[in-house]
Amino acid sequence: MINLIRAEIFKLTSNKTFWVLTISIVVLSSLLHFLVITNWWMMTGTPFELIGLSKWNGLSPFITPLFFNVIISTLAAFYISTEFSKSGVMKNQVMTGHKRSHIFIAKYLIYSIGSIITTILIPLLTAMIMVFLLENGEIFNQENISYIARAFSLFSLHFVCFTAIVFIITILTEDSGKTILFTLLVAILMFIVEKFITSDVVKQLYEYTFFHQFTNVFNPFISSGDIVKSLVIGAVSLIMIISFGIIAFNRKEIK
Amino acid sequence: MSEYILKAKNITKTFKGDKALDNVSMSIKKGDIYGFIGQNGAGKSTMLRIITGLSFPTNGQLELFGSIKESNIVEAQKRMGAIIENPGLFPNMSAYDNLEVHRLQKGIPGRSCIDRTLKLVGLQDTAKKKVKHFSLGMKQRLGLAVALLSDPEFLILDEPTNGLDPMGIVELRQLLKKLNREKGITVLISSHILSELHQLATNYGIIHKGKMLEELSAKELDEKCRQHLQIKVDQSTKGAIIIEEILGTTDFEVMQDGKIKLYDYLDDVRTVSQTLTENGLIIEHLSQNGDNLESYFSKLIGGVAND
Repeated sequence: MINLIRAEIFKLTSNKTFWVLTISIVVLSSLLHFLVITNWWMMTGTPFELIGLSKWNGLSPFITPLFFNVIISTLAAFYISTEFSKSGVMKNQVMTGHKRSHIFIAKYLIYSIGSIITTILIPLLTAMIMVFLLENGEIFNQENISYIARAFSLFSLHFVCFTAIVFIITILTEDSGKTILFTLLVAILMFIVEKFITSDVVKQLYEYTFFHQFTNVFNPFISSGDIVKSLVIGAVSLIMIISFGIIAFNRKEIK
Repeated sequence: MSEYILKAKNITKTFKGDKALDNVSMSIKKGDIYGFIGQNGAGKSTMLRIITGLSFPTNGQLELFGSIKESNIVEAQKRMGAIIENPGLFPNMSAYDNLEVHRLQKGIPGRSCIDRTLKLVGLQDTAKKKVKHFSLGMKQRLGLAVALLSDPEFLILDEPTNGLDPMGIVELRQLLKKLNREKGITVLISSHILSELHQLATNYGIIHKGKMLEELSAKELDEKCRQHLQIKVDQSTKGAIIIEEILGTTDFEVMQDGKIKLYDYLDDVRTVSQTLTENGLIIEHLSQNGDNLESYFSKLIGGVAND
């Protein structure tokens, strides 16, 4: 398994799309934070504003599924899909004599790490740096750090559930375009359910999905019970999605 | 330890009700160079994909390096190297980096194996070149390098001569012979260039429309393809006695249908015909026959024979 992980790290760091995304996010995120901190761009109604962290409003797009979906589906399309499609390198990997479940987990793990770097770590780090440079870091008190740490830890758990879904879509479709399209459809569907469905049953069911947790975890007044609930939803979803993915990959005919 | 590297029993594979493989059985002994012959769509690649774990049989049993259990077969696949259909390569990576990915996946210690394998397939001067700039033949060589990187005991090559120039084909043949001779690597090779297989294989499997028609050794094939005079006379028993006593040769055989295959006197047909006639036999048929692999294959699958 460690051999597979090392190979995946080598492939990710050799992947042009990963570096293009990384540099683009660094630039975009820095610009966004600069505009927000210097009040060139006023954002309202963000969870950060509720506890006086409006200078961090530049993070808001990066915690919105419709936005971060574009980043991670692009990475999936050009890092994972291409191995299944025309290059056919997936054949070589399956023929190396490793268990398919190990291949799945190694790929998923490194893909998720790549997604976390581009979608969570870079925006967070650039936010910290910009706040330090432009605001002397006055907002870094214990309460705020604790909120950011808790919210982003929980967010990361639910985020890897989403990357697992994107990863499975990639494996099933074996096509870059379809991967981006279907992932976008999932994100749009969940957005519609969250904003427009009025049925109580559907709403209640939706609250037990990790999609709902994407917004819930940034609630500054979240209770301990809700934190536990969020952890359970994330862990159970992750186990279920990965188990399904492994079963699907184990039965898959590699072209 | 089993002397067989591979034993496949009654492998059947169906796609939406159509049988791509129908009860195919094959066995490959350690040290064999097994030529897998069949037309396009005969089921060669499907069979090779099942052996390499890319696909799963609908029915049947596979035994690899003596292992039958699925998890053990996966483990046994570590001892194999293969190119199936086309070499799976990263087009945006160099030849060296493609092999590095494979080295990491296989957990091979040290990078010296990469240089050694590139040299073995003649790509040492293009190690840093990106694969997307490679010709088809170069890609094929690199695919072979990927398959050989971990010093496999069993090498599976699906149409490896595709895209190779005539010199490349000769070099590949020599390389496979050398690997087989010096390292004892067992080779399973499918190819539509039958003359190529004829110069290489020690055993053959002939597949047609998903069914294994015949498995035979090179010796058996040579025997079947041996040049001979085919004689049909009115009394085959008497004909055999005359050939043995008057022509003085025992290098012949009487077939079940009464025809005589005479492997001697190929350059002196006149003497044979004269002797038989002078001894009161009526010659109904006399011709010089003999197959090569192509005509034998063609006959076997029911196509047009060469002779």
